[in-house]
Parts: sequence; C-alpha cells; structure tokens
Amino acid sequence: MLPFHEPANQRRQGSVNIRQDTILGSFFIIIGVTAFLMALQYPFGTTSRMGPGYFPVLISVLLSFTGLAILVRGRIRETALLEAGRLKPLAIVLVAVVIFGFFIDKLGMPLSIFALLLVAATASVKFALSWKATVGAAAFSALCGLIFVRLLGLPIPMIGTWLQAFGL
Amino acid sequence: MNVFDGILLGFSTATTLVNFAYCFVGVLLGTAVGVLPGLGPVATISMLLPFTFGLPIDSGLIMLAGIFYGSQYGGSTTAILMNLPGEASSVVTTLDGHQMAKQGKAGRALAAAAIGSFFAGCVGTLFIVIAAPLLASFALTFGPTEYFSLIVLGLVTSMVLTSGSLLTAFGMVLFGMLLGMVGTDVNSGAARYTFGTPHLYDGLDFVVIATGIFGLGDVLANLENEHTRNATIAKVSSLFPTREDWKRMFGPILRGTGIGVILGVLPGAGVLLASFSAYALEKKVSRHPEQFGQGAIEGVAGPESANNAAAQTCFIPMLTLGLPGTATMALMIGAMIVQGVQPGPEILQQQPALFWGLVVSMWIGNVMLLFLNLPLVGVWARLISVPYHFLFPIICAFTAIGAYSINNSMFDVYLMAFFGLLGYFFRKVGAEPAPLILALILGPMAEEFLRRALLLSHGDASVFFTSPLSLGTLIIAALLVASILLPQFRKVREEGLQEVD
Repeated sequence: MLPFHEPANQRRQGSVNIRQDTILGSFFIIIGVTAFLMALQYPFGTTSRMGPGYFPVLISVLLSFTGLAILVRGRIRETALLEAGRLKPLAIVLVAVVIFGFFIDKLGMPLSIFALLLVAATASVKFALSWKATVGAAAFSALCGLIFVRLLGLPIPMIGTWLQAFGL
Repeated sequence: MNVFDGILLGFSTATTLVNFAYCFVGVLLGTAVGVLPGLGPVATISMLLPFTFGLPIDSGLIMLAGIFYGSQYGGSTTAILMNLPGEASSVVTTLDGHQMAKQGKAGRALAAAAIGSFFAGCVGTLFIVIAAPLLASFALTFGPTEYFSLIVLGLVTSMVLTSGSLLTAFGMVLFGMLLGMVGTDVNSGAARYTFGTPHLYDGLDFVVIATGIFGLGDVLANLENEHTRNATIAKVSSLFPTREDWKRMFGPILRGTGIGVILGVLPGAGVLLASFSAYALEKKVSRHPEQFGQGAIEGVAGPESANNAAAQTCFIPMLTLGLPGTATMALMIGAMIVQGVQPGPEILQQQPALFWGLVVSMWIGNVMLLFLNLPLVGVWARLISVPYHFLFPIICAFTAIGAYSINNSMFDVYLMAFFGLLGYFFRKVGAEPAPLILALILGPMAEEFLRRALLLSHGDASVFFTSPLSLGTLIIAALLVASILLPQFRKVREEGLQEVD
C-alpha cells in the first residue's frame, strides 16, 4: 500500500549526493568565464588609463579562479551536501510575482495585488480555500491601492489600461 | 556652522509636524515588519522603501532612519520571544534573552533590551554630532588612493564577519562587483553586460536586488521548511525591571555602549562585531560567568546596547565618506541616491538641514522606540504569532510593489523574481549574500577610485603603499585575513557566526 499520509518533511529530508561546493564553484566559474569573454570585447586600456574592460577582466578572472578553488575544496574535503529542495512552492511564488508584474499596468494596483496574493497563497502546504482569507486578501489589496496610490501618490494606476478600455 | 547651530537647525527640521509624523510612522512600520520572523533589517528596509519614494528628501530620509531603528528593535523582540534572530547581530540576544523568556521573564528581557538600546542610541547620536563633522573635514583631504584602500578594508571586513568560508564570501564579493558593473560605464559611456536590452543601460537597481535576494529569497527558503517552522512564543509578563535588574544592567549597558560606539565606525560588519564583543566582554567581567546562556540579564543588556550604539555610529562613515559599512547602510545609500542625495564629505556643507535633521531625528526615533515599543509589546507579540501561510503572500506583495515602484517598470518586477530565485540558490549552497550586497554598492566606487588613483600615479600601483593612510588601512585588512586563518580565531568565528536567516 502506498503511504498516503507520509509527512512531507520526511520526504524532503534526503540529501542529493552533490556537494554544495561543487554547485557554487561551477556557478562562479560559469559566471566568471562568461563575464571574462564578454569583457574582452570592451577596450582594455592601460593601467594608467583604464578602459571599460580593465576592471571587468580583473574581477572575472579572480571570480573564475575563486570558483575553481571552491570546486577543488569540495573535492578534497568533506564539505556540506546539497539538500533536496521542493520545487513546487518555489515555482508558484515566482509565477505569482511575474503575474503581478504582467498585470500591474493592465489591471491596476488592487486587482494585481489580489491576483498575486491568491496565487502565492497556494504555495503553502497549509493552503485551504476559505472565504475569510479571500475577503482578507481583497481588503489588503484595496488598502494597498489606497495607501500607495492615493495617500503616497506613487504613479501606479488604480485601474489599468484594460479596464479603462471598458470605460471603467 | 558650529555644532550647536547644527543641532538647532536639526531640531527645527526634524520637529516640523510633518517630519515628526513621518519619523513616527517609520518607527512604527519598521518595528511591525521587523518583528516578523525571518525578516531582518535589510529585507524590512528594502520592502518599506516605496513608502518613502513620494516624500520630500528630508521627510523621506527621516522616515527611512525610523524604519531602520524600528526594524533593528523589532528584530530583538523576535529574538527574545521566539528564539528566531532576524539578522546575525541578534543571534547573541537569543542566547540569554530567550532563556529569560522561557523562565517567564520575557518582559524584563525586553525592557533591558529597550532601555539599553535607548541609552546607547542617545550616546551614539551624540557621538555622531561630535565625530561626523571632524571626520568629514578630515575626509576632504582623502584622495582616490585612500578611498580605494578603505573600500578594500570594508569588503575584507564583511568577508571575515560572515558565516561560511572566506573563499565563498570572496566569490560573493566578486560576483557582487560584476553585478555592479552592469550598465553604462560612467567614464567611457560603453555599455557593459547589458545583453543588448535598454532596460539594463542604467544598471541593475540596488533595491531590486536587495528585495529579491533578502525579501523574496527568504520566503522561498522558508516555504521549503514550512513544516519545521515551530512558532512558540513566550508570554510577556511584567515589563518593569526589578531593582536587582537595574543594578545588574547598569554596567553592561555602559560597557556595551562604549564598545558599540567605537566598533560601529569601522567599515565592514561593525554592528555584528559589536554585539559579539559585548557579550564576550560581559561574560569575562561577570562574577557569575556560568549564568550566561542560562538567562543572565547582562547577556541581553550588553549586546543590545552595543548593537544599537553601533547601528547609530555606522551612519558616520556612510554620511561623511559615502562608504557604507554594512549591507543595511549600503541600502540606505541606495535609497539616498534614489532621492537624489549623494552622501560624502560635502553633505555637511551642501545640505546641512538634511544632515542635522537626520541626526536629530535619530534621537527622536530612539525616544519613540522606547515609548512605543514597551507599551505595544503585546501587539508585536500578536503580530509574530500570525501564521506564516497568511504572512508570506503579503511579504511577496510588498516585494513586488517595492520593485515596481522604483521605475514603474515591469522589467524590474521580473528581475526581482529572478534575484529571489538567486537568493534561494545562495541559501541552498550555503553562501551568505550580505557581502554581495555590499560589493554591489562598493564595486563601482572601487573601480572609479582605482581608475583615478592610477591615472594620477601614471599607472604606478605602489601609491597604495606610499600613502600612509592607505598603507595603514591595507595592513589592517591584511591582518584581518591573516587572523581568520589562525586556528584560534577561526574557532571563535565558527562558534559565533552560525548560519542565521
């Protein structure tokens, strides 16, 4: 029988068999080398007259070597392992923020905040549909519009371009 | 302008009804967000920045300073009541503060923290009044060589004082510098690392990165451990320290203040160093060192005073040199630049009302904290107990509004989401992001000062060792790096700087 009620924290306690240092070292090397290759396109100048490429070359070379050193450290010493992550809440929250960014000028401040709250809330393991929480989210969205747009005067639309097209 | 004229001017700026009100709102908001578990001052300030965007410069900065103190203080409340430090410097407070709370003395621990912070805040502000004009006039003689070395020292200190390895922190500093290069190069006008999009010509906005990494990144990391978050909050009883408490607090508050005032001026993570040193000192001078860790009020009063004194005096290098010492100060500089103010030695002459108004409002903010927080502690405790699954969507909303309101650009919101992901990634691989944030502000300055220094010396790099001030600064930086490689200090550092979120 499948363990239906297996607590989620038992599932995620496993570690992936990859060292933190391996990931971080590779990350720094990739960034460093890319930045170095791009920096070569900019005029380097001389030490007394540094061009726009001088400092980037310096820093990106240092970063690449630091990444390499971290990679080596992960090989020769028993450093911490990477813990398995949960990708679902991660994706949901990021999508919620992107939705806000996409709709803010089209639907206006309160509605896009409301959308963000609703989507983000589903990321929690404790999420449950409740009219109380929904009303709370709606009230918070209205309050945000009131405070940021009306009171503080930030140039963010209350009612976005899409709704204006309907004559609202 | 002498100091007294300055203070008078400051009072007339800070006590206008409007500025007074903004200071109050700032302290209130800062505490309200700062008490939320897991949100340290950096995340709090970056999320609350949009509240100050629409304001005139002086009101905006005064409110911002209020937010800063409020968030600092709120962090201690959470540390004591919940054993959850919001930032590295309140780790020490959890040691004895939470023990006291467990013994039913939460109110007295909070009072010790508040009274200590208030006293330290007053002394710290007084120190700014005296030291800042001196340092500013001294700083006018600094050339690019001195500035470059000071930046190096600041970055090295921040690397030494973060949890995790030095090598990782060095990588984060370099990565932060690379991020700081994105945009148009001020000297040549060349576009660097813009990937051809005009959105990046003005560079990456500092606030977007800080909100993403510290605000959203924190939410992403916390959602992962949602099951293991236990929210047990100690009950707050009597807030009045006993006679015995006063007697035991007196010495630690004085010593802590002294340590904090001095260490706060140092570039790097002065606030953190101050609270750790104050704790170590109290333990050393105490006749009952065995009580430390078991709920000794000295262990709360000393570090909290040091913490707050340093939080005040770390404004000195930021305001007079334009060099931020901590990630929080880097954020304050970012906010000032958004407001069109460039901190530096000239700020005292060019904008005296702004400078003195800010200093006086710091003191007023401290008074408010004392009278606001102790009576309201029940409200804060209730705020802490709001379940996380209601809280985190609201935090997301604030980060999104913050990112959008800087330039009214949806690109910034997407960028913020991306940096949130990056912040999550850094937490996963055990890399502390504070040095990155500092390097993001200091990196472009370092490039500019290096360029000017080498231009003046015709490409001769030995200038950094022939200027006495620059040489001294670099020697201190080298000693710091050397000290961390020594086994004894290394052990202390590893014990002290455990990973905190």
